[in-house]
Amino acid sequence: MNVTDSSRSETTATVSGHEVVAEHLNAYYGAFHAVLDVTVTFPANEVTAIIGPSGCGKSTLVRCINRMHEEVPGARAEGSITLDGHDIYDPAIDVTTVRRVIGMVFQKPNPFPTMSIFDNVAAGLRLAGAKRGRDLHDRVEQALVAVGLWDEVKDRLGRPGIGLSGGQQQRLCIARTVAVEPEVILMDEPCSALDPVGTLRIEELIDELKSRYTIVIVTHNMQQAARVANSTVFMLDGELVEHGPTAEIFTQPKDERTERYVTGKFG
Amino acid sequence: MMIETRRNFHESLRRLEEQTLGGLDLVVEALDRAVEAVQFQDVELAQMVTADDDRIDGRYLEVHQGLLSLLARQAPVASDLRLVAALLHTVRSVERMGDQCADISKLIPLSGFEAPKDKEMLDAIARMGLLVRAEVLDSRSSFAERNVDVAGDLLRQDAEINSLNRAIFRRAVEIGDNPDLREWGMFMVLVARALERIGDNAIEIAEQTVFVVSGLFREFPDLPNTAQGKLGE
Amino acid sequence: MATAPPEANVLLRKTAGTRRRRAVSRAVDVVCTVAALAAVAVLLLVIASVAVKGAPALSLRLLTENPKVSPFGGNTGGIANSIVGSVILVVIASVIAVPMGVMVAIYTTEFAPPKVATGIRFALDILTGIPTIVIGVFIFSVLVVGAHQSGWAGAIALAIVELPVVARSDQEVLALVPRALHEAGVALGLKRWRIVLRVILPTAAGGLITGAVLGVARVAGETAPLIFTTSVFSNLGLTTNPSAALPNIPVTILSLSESPSPKDHAQAWAAALVLIVFVLLLSVTARAVHERSRAKLRG
Repeated sequence: MNVTDSSRSETTATVSGHEVVAEHLNAYYGAFHAVLDVTVTFPANEVTAIIGPSGCGKSTLVRCINRMHEEVPGARAEGSITLDGHDIYDPAIDVTTVRRVIGMVFQKPNPFPTMSIFDNVAAGLRLAGAKRGRDLHDRVEQALVAVGLWDEVKDRLGRPGIGLSGGQQQRLCIARTVAVEPEVILMDEPCSALDPVGTLRIEELIDELKSRYTIVIVTHNMQQAARVANSTVFMLDGELVEHGPTAEIFTQPKDERTERYVTGKFG
Repeated sequence: MMIETRRNFHESLRRLEEQTLGGLDLVVEALDRAVEAVQFQDVELAQMVTADDDRIDGRYLEVHQGLLSLLARQAPVASDLRLVAALLHTVRSVERMGDQCADISKLIPLSGFEAPKDKEMLDAIARMGLLVRAEVLDSRSSFAERNVDVAGDLLRQDAEINSLNRAIFRRAVEIGDNPDLREWGMFMVLVARALERIGDNAIEIAEQTVFVVSGLFREFPDLPNTAQGKLGE
Repeated sequence: MATAPPEANVLLRKTAGTRRRRAVSRAVDVVCTVAALAAVAVLLLVIASVAVKGAPALSLRLLTENPKVSPFGGNTGGIANSIVGSVILVVIASVIAVPMGVMVAIYTTEFAPPKVATGIRFALDILTGIPTIVIGVFIFSVLVVGAHQSGWAGAIALAIVELPVVARSDQEVLALVPRALHEAGVALGLKRWRIVLRVILPTAAGGLITGAVLGVARVAGETAPLIFTTSVFSNLGLTTNPSAALPNIPVTILSLSESPSPKDHAQAWAAALVLIVFVLLLSVTARAVHERSRAKLRG
């Protein structure tokens, strides 16, 4: 059975990408061992989905990648995570820089309520100090174009960000993330709070974005992983059970536990 | 204590498999009757077989529809998906086998109303019928039990069937000199060919068994005198 | 006695004890309504009696003229200097207490470890419960003994009363800001203080204003802290210098009501009316701002 991964032929034509590698990653909440010795590579300019039942550690794993895990009191991570070979836990680097380079989109859209659409997208740029004027406006426009929102909002950039629909708000949040030009985008169940149409639009967007970013998406919706991801990682009870091309995971998984999970033989 | 999930789905899938394999039982029935009709030049029996093919066709449609519905509603993956794909192929083979039996029985009234007899030919046909019957039943059990070894054994049986096919052809040529037997002989060649096709379909079902189990689609290797060889020497 | 056949319509069927349950329910209804009405009635009574008793003495003269002691006793002037004094005291107190309250609230909700935050909240709750007279005596012992009464002392005493009110209210408001906004800011790679300043505070702005207004309303009428710190006035004219004791409305009400002259009593009522009106206006404003900011957050 020959599975062609169409994204590979795309990669050579696009900007050189950024790869994230986790090695022997262990994450804890106090005494609770949430992620057990996980080693996995997230290839450049590809979408990797992480699936698994509730509590399997997939959200924790992803939050270790942008170092948000350590914001939780009592939480810690051991092992290494590198971006293009550079250790993101290196004490010499500023953790806020890591988060600018590795962006995150959350389950429930969270635009800043006191800011307009424009200000929301510009937030990361402005509040990090630099931009102003024409340059800022261009960056905001680019970001909104990239997420397919520009035409819908270009005449009302001054209106509050929370006035948009759920799907639009989520795209606004993605624009805000993209505006600071990260290298990796993490998505933690980005479509869970959206209706089916909104979900499909985000999935289209993800497909477009992968030519410029490396994307890791956590989802409890297996069909979404099947539609959207080049490779899929299956986690169970904190362990990485199987990792492979999505088509393989969903037609011929190697591990019995993966088989049982994707066929729904246990919840 | 794990609650079994997707019970309806697995139940439906199991039932569709049962119906598909049950179709093979209908085929065996039709095969037996068709061969008997040939043995005794029984035109009435032959007409029964032709009429009963509707049952097999109906079974095909039912299973096909059920599988499509399952694909649309349940989004099967992994082993479930392979099974659905295999059943789609298999039930088609069942339908073809039924058509072959009907073809055999349609040949009987054409071949005349007296009972012509060439014992050698009839024996060969009878023997071929038994072998094909066994092959079909083996393919059924191979699929039902997901037994890849039985699937492999079918190749051996098929070799014998093919050599019988050639023998019948040669015999038809031999009796061709006798004007009374000539026409009948040619019809018998067609009967043998239909039987041999039924055997080929059984082999395809065995290939589906391998696919369900391993996910690999491998045509059984060409042996000399295999199904691919047909009437060639 | 024939029993009625069971009602065919399931929806109309009565179960055993229905009548009794209905009676109990109605009784509870009545009791609660009476209690609510009583509470409102008390408020209306207070406002009404102050209004009725104070309105006759309320005049422009009262509000704009300074007191004049007549040779026959009693005040023939107004309470303008008390009003100005009160405003000065409250403003100084708020300038101290409101920013401090906001910063304490920010510290406990954003930066403090959970145990420390709990400790601070507890301390503030206790501070709220300390009788204001105790605070007055405390400031007296620290700032007045060995020196003299002053507006500063009075304002500081008021600030101590105002601080926990503002801080607790602000804490609640900041806690209501969804964690998701913090996360969004952190995930964008923003520094903590930037997130607080540009995201959290603006989002909570309405609530913070409410907290400030609540604080002001609370101390506008506090009497006990002022008795020990700013109740001895050197003159009856308009004073604005806080280094001396400032006349103020609560203390003035007290002294007017202790005077033998009935005219003074009337003025006391009028002063009380002014105070109540002021506090009512503040409360209503606080509510309105709060509602508006909540509506904005809801989008």
